[in-house]
Amino acid sequence: MKAKSRVARWLAHLTLIIASIGILFPIYWVFVSALQTNTDIFSPTLHLLPYEWHWANFVRAWQSQPFGIFFLNSIASNLLIVVAQLLTSSMAAYALVFIPLKGKGVLFFSILLAMMIPMQTTFIPVYIILSKVHLINTYGSLVLPFVGSAFGIFLLRQGFVSVPKEMISAARIDGASEARILWTIVLPNVKPALITLVLLNFVFHYNSLFWPLVSTSSTNMRVIPVALSYFLNQEAGQNLQWNLLMAADLFSILPVILIFLLGQRFIVRGIANSSVKG
Amino acid sequence: MLGSLKKGMLQPKGVKPQINRPLKSISIGWSGWLFVLPALIFIAIFIFIPAIYVVYLSFLKWNLLSLHPKFVGLSNYVHMFQSPDFQQALTNTLILGVGMIVLSLPLALFLALLADMGLRGTRVYRTILFGPYVVPLVGSGLVWTLLYNKNYGFINLTLAKFFQIHGPDWLGTQGYALLAVLIMSIWQYLGYYMLIFLGGLQSVPQHLKEAAAIDGGNRWQTFWHVTLPALSPSIVFAFVVCTIQSFQMFDQVYVMTGGGPDGASTTLVYYIYNQGFEMYNIGTATAASVFLLVLLALLSWVQVRFSRRWVVEE
Repeated sequence: MKAKSRVARWLAHLTLIIASIGILFPIYWVFVSALQTNTDIFSPTLHLLPYEWHWANFVRAWQSQPFGIFFLNSIASNLLIVVAQLLTSSMAAYALVFIPLKGKGVLFFSILLAMMIPMQTTFIPVYIILSKVHLINTYGSLVLPFVGSAFGIFLLRQGFVSVPKEMISAARIDGASEARILWTIVLPNVKPALITLVLLNFVFHYNSLFWPLVSTSSTNMRVIPVALSYFLNQEAGQNLQWNLLMAADLFSILPVILIFLLGQRFIVRGIANSSVKG
Repeated sequence: MLGSLKKGMLQPKGVKPQINRPLKSISIGWSGWLFVLPALIFIAIFIFIPAIYVVYLSFLKWNLLSLHPKFVGLSNYVHMFQSPDFQQALTNTLILGVGMIVLSLPLALFLALLADMGLRGTRVYRTILFGPYVVPLVGSGLVWTLLYNKNYGFINLTLAKFFQIHGPDWLGTQGYALLAVLIMSIWQYLGYYMLIFLGGLQSVPQHLKEAAAIDGGNRWQTFWHVTLPALSPSIVFAFVVCTIQSFQMFDQVYVMTGGGPDGASTTLVYYIYNQGFEMYNIGTATAASVFLLVLLALLSWVQVRFSRRWVVEE
């Protein structure tokens, strides 16, 4: 829609700027609070900038709890999820798109069905199953439930459809194996879809609290969201160090913000093109 | 490999493939299932079996510690529906859902219309407005807890300074805790819905709008009679997704209010978590899970029907 009048455009800019400030404000507040003393955070006077800038708060926050381990847990478990999901989903999507399967209808239906069952409704049985094999409170419990993903299959299937079928049949005539066709022809041709899946997946799992909260219990198994939520629980009460908590909050959300800013176009496309995850 | 591929592509279509195809597809038929198997096994173990298992568990009386769960039929469901805690959790979840739909969707649509005007800097606006969606709910829940602080939070200090209003204890008062969760969630998801609408708007054919303008329709009429109908798939999609997201709310409640005060902000998922992992009432927790499962599956079914329509466009 091309706005004709200058006034309309000007008003639109103004509205969007106000909305943007409102949206950015809480993020800004994390930053400002992280730099203050705890006393200044709870000062009865409204102030938008710190009275004093305490950059050392970031160091103190980092040292207050084993954040190195928490980051390692988050990043390692999420990378495992991403890699495993990429593998299982691309294979399944390949079969769905390029291989004439008997019973494809059933397969399609079961993948749709899997998309309709959210973790929040099945986590108790999943917990029981994993505890029977003694995997609760291990990386296994963080990773295994997400290795197969109906969402991943769907997202990749959409990318795979755009690969010309002639390329596949030509390679088959040349005697290339299916695995080889997937690896050397299909995957290089759908890089944007792969990147989208990787980024959406990483952000989604890096952010999620629910399952890690349920499935891990010891300090050395905590991932970032669990660690942040415990920060609040453990020190609850008057002496909670809000400045350190906000400093920890800031370096915890930094990875996803960076990923978003760098890979924005893939994430936005993934959201716009496909359905949603959680 | 690449060389042979190119050679293969140059070969005339028709002759050789026709000879090879039947043979190939037979040999592929089996290996095809091998390709699907890894994903399918994991989906079966961690989605389908649990989904059946949760229904079974909901007929038992079991507290995880006792060795012998007792079969109690539907009594978990009866107890659950009669329990004031469940009723409150359900009511709260419905209020959040309705609140999200009524408040965030129109606002998101409005912002999307502005972002679709072809203004300079639209990309920057879009990035900023969508930003909160990628921030972990725990992270934003924490800063909102600070903003909502009764005596020293930014919100109440602002209300006092500029409007002489004595702000409430947002997270600690019965009537306000749920509202506080709602406002925070709108902040979190607004840009996401805006993006859905923006995608829809960009697929509205330009000539339709121009035709309406030539016919002498003003902007409001164009919006009402051209843009909105063309946007209806994305509106339905956003509507369903918004409902699903509202019914899955947990993280922000866990961080900001812990479901309190006195259950005032407990959502269904929080209720399940609380019953299952704090009270060890596996029967009640799984009965509520089944209830939520049926509800969300129905909603997702609607969602899939609409997203499939989108897929077809490609």
